[in-house]
Amino acid sequence: MPFEEAGRPFGFPEGFGHAPAEGDAVLLLRCLLGPTPRSLHALIWAAGSASATVRRIRKGGAGSDNDRAFLGTADPAAIRERLAAIGARFAQPGDPDYWPAFLRLEDPPVGVFVRGRPLDPGDERVAVVGSRRPTPTGREVAADLASGLASCGIVTVSGGAFGIDTAAHRGALVAGGATVAVLGSGIDQPHPRGNRRLFADIESAGTLISEYPPGVPAEPFRFPARNRLIAALSRAVIVVEGATKSGARITAEHAMELGLEVFAVPGAVTNPLAETPLELIREGATLIRGLDDLLHDLGVDPSRIGRGRSAAGLSADERRVYERLAGPTLPTSVARDAGLSLEAAVAALIGLELRGLVRGRGGRFERTFAGRAADPSARRSSSEGSGRPPDG
Amino acid sequence: MYGRVVGVTVLGVGGHPVTVEAFVGRGLPSLTVTGLPGAAVQDARDRIRPAVEHSELEWPLRRVVINLAPGNLRKEGAGLDLPIAVSVLVATRQVPPSATVDHVFFGEISLRGEVLPTPGVISVAIAAMRRGLAGVIVPAANAVEAAQVDGLAVIAVTSIRDVVGFLRGTWTPPPVAGESVSPPARASVDLSEVRGQDEARRAIEVAAAGGHNLLMVGPPGAGKTMLARRLPTILPDLTRDEALEATQLHSVAGLLAGRGLLRERPFRAPHHSVSTAGLLGGGSTVLRPGEASLAHRGVLFLDELTEFRRDAIEALRQPLEDGAIVVTRAGGSVTFPARFTLVAAANPCPCGYAGDPRKHCRCRPDQHDRYRHKLSGPLLDRIDLRLTIPRLTKDELLGASSGELSSVVRDRVVAARERQRHRYAALGISSNADLPGPLARRAARLSDDAEELLARAVEHLALTGRGFDRVIKVARTIADLHQADRVAHAHVSEALSYRTAFEEDEDLPRAV
Repeated sequence: MPFEEAGRPFGFPEGFGHAPAEGDAVLLLRCLLGPTPRSLHALIWAAGSASATVRRIRKGGAGSDNDRAFLGTADPAAIRERLAAIGARFAQPGDPDYWPAFLRLEDPPVGVFVRGRPLDPGDERVAVVGSRRPTPTGREVAADLASGLASCGIVTVSGGAFGIDTAAHRGALVAGGATVAVLGSGIDQPHPRGNRRLFADIESAGTLISEYPPGVPAEPFRFPARNRLIAALSRAVIVVEGATKSGARITAEHAMELGLEVFAVPGAVTNPLAETPLELIREGATLIRGLDDLLHDLGVDPSRIGRGRSAAGLSADERRVYERLAGPTLPTSVARDAGLSLEAAVAALIGLELRGLVRGRGGRFERTFAGRAADPSARRSSSEGSGRPPDG
Repeated sequence: MYGRVVGVTVLGVGGHPVTVEAFVGRGLPSLTVTGLPGAAVQDARDRIRPAVEHSELEWPLRRVVINLAPGNLRKEGAGLDLPIAVSVLVATRQVPPSATVDHVFFGEISLRGEVLPTPGVISVAIAAMRRGLAGVIVPAANAVEAAQVDGLAVIAVTSIRDVVGFLRGTWTPPPVAGESVSPPARASVDLSEVRGQDEARRAIEVAAAGGHNLLMVGPPGAGKTMLARRLPTILPDLTRDEALEATQLHSVAGLLAGRGLLRERPFRAPHHSVSTAGLLGGGSTVLRPGEASLAHRGVLFLDELTEFRRDAIEALRQPLEDGAIVVTRAGGSVTFPARFTLVAAANPCPCGYAGDPRKHCRCRPDQHDRYRHKLSGPLLDRIDLRLTIPRLTKDELLGASSGELSSVVRDRVVAARERQRHRYAALGISSNADLPGPLARRAARLSDDAEELLARAVEHLALTGRGFDRVIKVARTIADLHQADRVAHAHVSEALSYRTAFEEDEDLPRAV
């Protein structure tokens, strides 16, 4: 490393990418797979400009043989053509699609590839991240948060992965909002492939961003790097579920370095997926119990959005069952607690399920997140705490 | 010199009478068998002479020709040993021909002239009865089977000497006990032994009452096998005709082991490594019934459904549709009855813990998808009742009440089946499970609020057309268990509660 940590300059040298022929040099640098963003950043400061950096690598003053081989054959025009063919574009610092906050990172990307809608500088964006293998509750919370944010006009940012990421993107799209996915793979091959439909939907209603040129496969070591872009794009980061040492934790750490607000949705201390949120809360992240808390803390007026499922119109049995249902419970136990026959309890549970208030899972029933929000008693205590008038 | 007796060859499960003719004439000593003998019958040529000589009878040192008629029917099995031997004895006048005309001879013989246990005796007896013959001469070890067929004298023999003694009138066969040889023993397991799992106990009651196939999904150790084993104990007792059919199949497979009529409904649980032939029947020379046929009138339990060979599982569709399996080989085709209740069990995901509140599932989403894909398909369409069996916590187990006895549940099942038989008498079907979809709606006679509940379920649970029909059929059975003419709200609710982890909403939010 030619630079000492403490002395690292931010951003890029004056005129980076703007002199003639510099634009192509930036694109070539971004297509190099050898140097990490950090070493490339250092190299650029040492060389002074993009084209000087390319020259230096060509001469063997830096980079690897692979890099030189690439620069020997690469044709910027061909790369741009390939991008255009898949509806993607390259953005370097200063371009509208290059979000200025990227320059506040210690290892800013020299450029990014973008598909879909341009980033609107007027947009407010919030990241929702978490486990790839969440609980159904986690999924639901993430979707609910993203839907709520979307209905307030706030864009959800996430990583396009399975689990919480998918739930967040989908939640935003379902509510008719925009969403941004930051990929850890080449812009032409969003990973995971199982989310193809999601990526297509995001491209039409939102934006796909990747640091990686076409043809780069998804590899696990690229995911942590993409997390810094998720943080930099956002005004706040919400962690929904994550096991210890999760990717969500890395995103949250980037957010803290950037001075953003970090929110965490808590879980039971016995739940391994609550590790990351609970750790973050201990380290000072703000605990949120759901959309109401989040909107309050972001300073958004929650009464703007109509939401919440009604607990009105329940039959006496349904109400009895619903009031007694806490964690995942067998129908037999529900029947015993509510003093009903098994048949009556099952009928009530199915009625509640059809209203979206409870959910059957693995033979047991539990309240849904929406159900929690609709519970009059839960609602009362949450609004008392913040002194807001109850909404919905 | 000429002799003629009647034997039977068993093809599939059916016994086919075969006329065995013997001609003893001039020529070098030899034994020729004509009339499409199978490999086992060809073998008999070398067995019979030592057996006859060992029985202190004389084997003609002349040219012997045996003909098996009808000539277009392939003859299989060692059961023709005995008639071939007797036909030679008749031809050489060592036994009187008059005694042989109205009996069927059947049995494999050893070199010492013993008559050995032979599979398929009950089919032989049925064939003899249909032919209007007076009696059957069969191996003593299988005599009980033959005794199940009414109006037939059963002569149980242990050797050729017995047969000759009987034909000469110098030996009286021992009496063969017909009924009550195998006591109507109740099953060794009982539904009341299942602790907790009230919902699952209820579900297998519904399966029994409506003849529905059942899929149980749950983590290892939840009790899927235990429950499946107890399903036969709550099914109605075998009727005599059903018992005869099932006994025939077991007899042909050589599985009766000296028992007479089957009294308990069969329970077959083939291992998941079973071949298609093992599951459906087949074999290269002798066609044997497979596990699906051995489960005829009982329960076929496929544990770890996802581990079975795909082709074997797919092939089960035929018996599930038709109640029979047609096995075709070069020599012709045979039909094995196979009308069984299918009970399948599977883990909810490769690691087994999807949906478990205490153990985190470690599978990747693509593993889940692949796993589900294995379970989907046409077989699943034939399974009306799907059930999630959770692993119980200690508290749930301790708090569990002990359940009802199988006999109590069976009474309700019998009553419900009676209602169905009555209702469907004109349709030629016997249970709700056999109802075609469009008819199911009519038979259900949904009450208004049940109708409304179903409409909501279609919307919220994303029920497919087939899923919808399944719910109605199961709801109809639940109503029958309650002796209700119309399907009410509560019945539909319960039917809707039978879903597996695969159908539970794993996906993403639908519009709020």
